Amino acid sequence: MTIAVERLDELVTALRTVLRDEQILTSKPDRYNRARVPAPFPVHRWSERLPDLAVLPTSTEEVAGVVRIANDLRVPVVPRDGGTGLTDGAVPLRGGIVVDVKRMNAIKELDLANRTVTVGTGINMLKLNEQLARHGLFYPDDPASYPCSLVGGRIGTSGWSLIGSRYGHTRDLVLSFDHVLPTGEVMHVGDGVGHKVSKSSSGYQLKHLFMGHQGTLGIATAATLKLFPKPEAELSPFWAFDNYDDAYACVGALARAGAATFAGAVLFDEWKVAYLRRDDEAYIPQPGDVRALVCAVMYGYEDEVRPAGKRLFRIAKEHGARYLGDEISQGDWAARHDRYATPLHGRTKAGQVVPMSWHCEDAAINYTDLPSVTKSWHEIVADLRRRTDVFDDWGMFAYTSGSTGVDYLTEIDVGIWEQQLDDRAWEMWVKAKRDLAAVALAHHGSISACHGSCREGEVDLVPDELGRGFDVMLDIKRALDPNNIMNPGKYLLDRAYEAGTRS
Amino acid sequence: MTQLDGPGASDPVSVPFTPGMRDNPEELAAIPDEIVRAHVLPPGPTRSQEFSEQWRNAAYSCFSSGHKFCREVCPVTQVTRNESWTPTAFHANVVAMDKGEMTIEEIAADYVNCTQCGACELRCPNTLFTGDFYRFRTRTVDVVKAVRAFAVESGVHQPAWQSWNERTDERSHEPVLGQTAVSQEHVRDWSDGLDLPIGGETVLFVDCEAAFYRTSVPRAVAQILQLAGYEFGLMGNQWCCGGPAAEMGYVDQAKRFAQHNLDDWRSTGTKRLLVLDPHDYISFTEDYPKYFGADFDIEVVLVVELFAELIREGKLTPRVPVERAITYHDPCRLNKRKGIWKEPREILRSIPGLDFKDVDRVTQWSYCSGGGGGLPVEKPELTAAISASRLENAARLDVDTLVSACPWSERPLGEAGEAADIDVVDIHEMLAESLGIEVGGSRGGSEGSGARGGDRS
Ligand SMILES: Cc1cc2nc3c(=O)[nH]c(=O)nc-3n(C[C@H](O)[C@H](O)[C@H](O)COP(=O)(O)OP(=O)(O)OC[C@H]3O[C@@H](n4cnc5c(N)ncnc54)[C@H](O)[C@@H]3O)c2cc1C
Ligand code: SF4
Repeated sequence: MTIAVERLDELVTALRTVLRDEQILTSKPDRYNRARVPAPFPVHRWSERLPDLAVLPTSTEEVAGVVRIANDLRVPVVPRDGGTGLTDGAVPLRGGIVVDVKRMNAIKELDLANRTVTVGTGINMLKLNEQLARHGLFYPDDPASYPCSLVGGRIGTSGWSLIGSRYGHTRDLVLSFDHVLPTGEVMHVGDGVGHKVSKSSSGYQLKHLFMGHQGTLGIATAATLKLFPKPEAELSPFWAFDNYDDAYACVGALARAGAATFAGAVLFDEWKVAYLRRDDEAYIPQPGDVRALVCAVMYGYEDEVRPAGKRLFRIAKEHGARYLGDEISQGDWAARHDRYATPLHGRTKAGQVVPMSWHCEDAAINYTDLPSVTKSWHEIVADLRRRTDVFDDWGMFAYTSGSTGVDYLTEIDVGIWEQQLDDRAWEMWVKAKRDLAAVALAHHGSISACHGSCREGEVDLVPDELGRGFDVMLDIKRALDPNNIMNPGKYLLDRAYEAGTRS
Repeated sequence: MTQLDGPGASDPVSVPFTPGMRDNPEELAAIPDEIVRAHVLPPGPTRSQEFSEQWRNAAYSCFSSGHKFCREVCPVTQVTRNESWTPTAFHANVVAMDKGEMTIEEIAADYVNCTQCGACELRCPNTLFTGDFYRFRTRTVDVVKAVRAFAVESGVHQPAWQSWNERTDERSHEPVLGQTAVSQEHVRDWSDGLDLPIGGETVLFVDCEAAFYRTSVPRAVAQILQLAGYEFGLMGNQWCCGGPAAEMGYVDQAKRFAQHNLDDWRSTGTKRLLVLDPHDYISFTEDYPKYFGADFDIEVVLVVELFAELIREGKLTPRVPVERAITYHDPCRLNKRKGIWKEPREILRSIPGLDFKDVDRVTQWSYCSGGGGGLPVEKPELTAAISASRLENAARLDVDTLVSACPWSERPLGEAGEAADIDVVDIHEMLAESLGIEVGGSRGGSEGSGARGGDRS
């Protein structure tokens, strides 16, 4: 896939007109380390996904310069920020240039009166919040990848925040941003055009279009974000249930209660509890009669969280919940970002501990469809598992997506023993992903709701999900990126350039 | 509604189970596998593959997570934002070698970019949650050391490290003063006028930086010990501990130096070693036991811990008020690598007059001086940037003094402190001051400044 040496020289020479030498990385480790994300990938075919080079720009102008050159020379461009995306979004499929924006991590302006902050998109939310804490503020975009994903990647994936039921998700929290289009032109996009405006109805609502596109429509370079008072109180009770049905009923009731401080609720199913039980001794004890768990989270002032908490405790009790106590509740919530992806939870059916990658498939599913989707998804993974120990079932979560509990981000976690991956195992996996997505669609869900659905497997069903909308995507892609340089190969958008497509 | 309904219920794979539990149905283990094979080295493995064989599980364990929770605490990543120089990249490269994709020649230079502070290991969920339970912590520092050693063994050298170690070999001490000679003849110069005996059951080991550059530190330590009536001597013929050589991959040299020192202790009947430098503390508590096994029967005492104990026992009582607004810099090798963070605070809290603005030890996981792991020798500009960022954090607390407990951190921190108008003081010096001791000696500064980074040819 890589470009010929002479062209590479030409490219580097051109890039030197906008970047310093030390910002242009061509070595093998530089390329290999920007060719993967945490999602398992066919590691035996690593070399097929390398960029030709990576660049480390420090300003919007530099990014625009790079994209302009790439567009002139018809070289693919892949934006990369934290590199924690789970859909291979930041992994190049056609070589080209990885534009790594991590160096654009400055806090440019903190506007205390309007409660906004403007940052370079290479900044991490945890790091940003360390600075904001001094002003009693915080930026509540809180994915489980909070310590490692960065603002640009959040825009690129239009990610989903664990506490979004109270504060909104990335799309609500990012007010506006500077964006480099696939031709290298720079625009500012928000609701309307305002920099710090949260609502506007002039023109089309473009902000959404330039979020969640997985780097196929350009690169966000600086973003203005909404800020909130750093919550004075946090209540995060974990409740145990002796069966899934009660837990499921409980989580719905908690979300429907409409308490103003309610920031989110999570339902852990029986497989997830079995998975957590693997490190009983290492971490928290999960007695045998615990079959499902529910957690709710409230944020706000002490005097609003307390009464709301009482209400939720009452609801939980009515549904047969057993409170796990303050220590477990607080500890488990504090650890929510870290409990993912501990590879040594991986085990063969016989119990041998092996390093496995964490992989999650997810979809937004209506509350009423959760049990059925949960069941079908486990069956798909059981099928894999029956055939080989390369795959392990790490259970399922469902999180509220919105404050009313209409839908849930439903996620199945699958352990994959990457050391054992070969073409056959990879095929099995890709097929399973397609099957998982098909189940979601059959339930009128949206596949891969927060992580994007542009990767091998589920991407095949995107046209089915979007219908006529997918053709609109192709039209937009062709119009904005006439030479198909932005992250080509993703989202089946190559179809926009195939002969016979509508023009 | 219920998940367990349906035809799958009789199939053991269809129901939730915890692999490895004794009461699991036996059929689980007996299901034939279509894919999984025992791992075998490829025929005629490359040297890189032979190397990666030892580290493949450890490396895959990180590669498999790959989430990079470690990244924002990594001091090098913080200042370079270069994904090739993150803790996880150090593991991923090993996986690439395992797959036959890369060679040691291609990756060696990247491994310069690590201060071996250990923050990544602490921040790693593998270590935090289950590492100890499975006896499988993420050991990025060890991986970095091993790759550096493999590079040297393969004849791949970093120029400044190579000459640094050659000169260390020539002089038996690190060339911390650049062209100004440091050597056996000068190893005890710092103690002029203190009248210290040689040898004995307890000896004070003084690292090269303190012995030749920041001599106020060992002077403070020695005088405090004298004040407390604690008996000790100096080594007869002290060589560099070998730790820096081990950190840069020059393992044979490190071992040779260690052997020399051990022989010297034997010859003077030494049973106990007082150590003031955290880097030496790592050498003596981790490297030496690895080299010599049970033969290494010397007790190692960290001076900071000893002083805290002497204060607790009333054998030392700081009285002279030190009127400064301070914060404390947790040296990486104490806080992150060894879990020693209470005692230095105990000492500081016992000093009257101090306005101590503490930063908790966990927050300090993401702080580093940049002075470790050989980084200042190869990449002084990175060390300077890391120190500057540490001082920025100190400046936010509105202090006039940053206290450290590690001589190797004090040169870069001191230089960055000049720009931020913050004085960098060693904890032992500060304690001595409060005990009314006139320390003397040099705190580095103009006479030696820049020599470490400046003379690297
Ligand atoms: C342990 C773990 C837990 C996770 N939990 C969650 C979760 O709870 N919620 C959630 O939403 N996600 C979660 N994720 C997925 C991931 O963190 C998110 O997708 C995140 O938004 C990716 O951010 P990043 O900075 O790492 O982006 P990257 O991986 O670098 O990029 C992601 C995508 O955005 C594009 N992109 C990157 N930068 C830009 C830019 N400046 N402009 C335009 N496009 C860009 C890339 O091309 C790519 O397609 C999790 C991941 C991990 C590893
Ligand atoms: S070192 Fe630990 S924290 Fe860092 S990427 Fe690897 S597993 Fe994650």
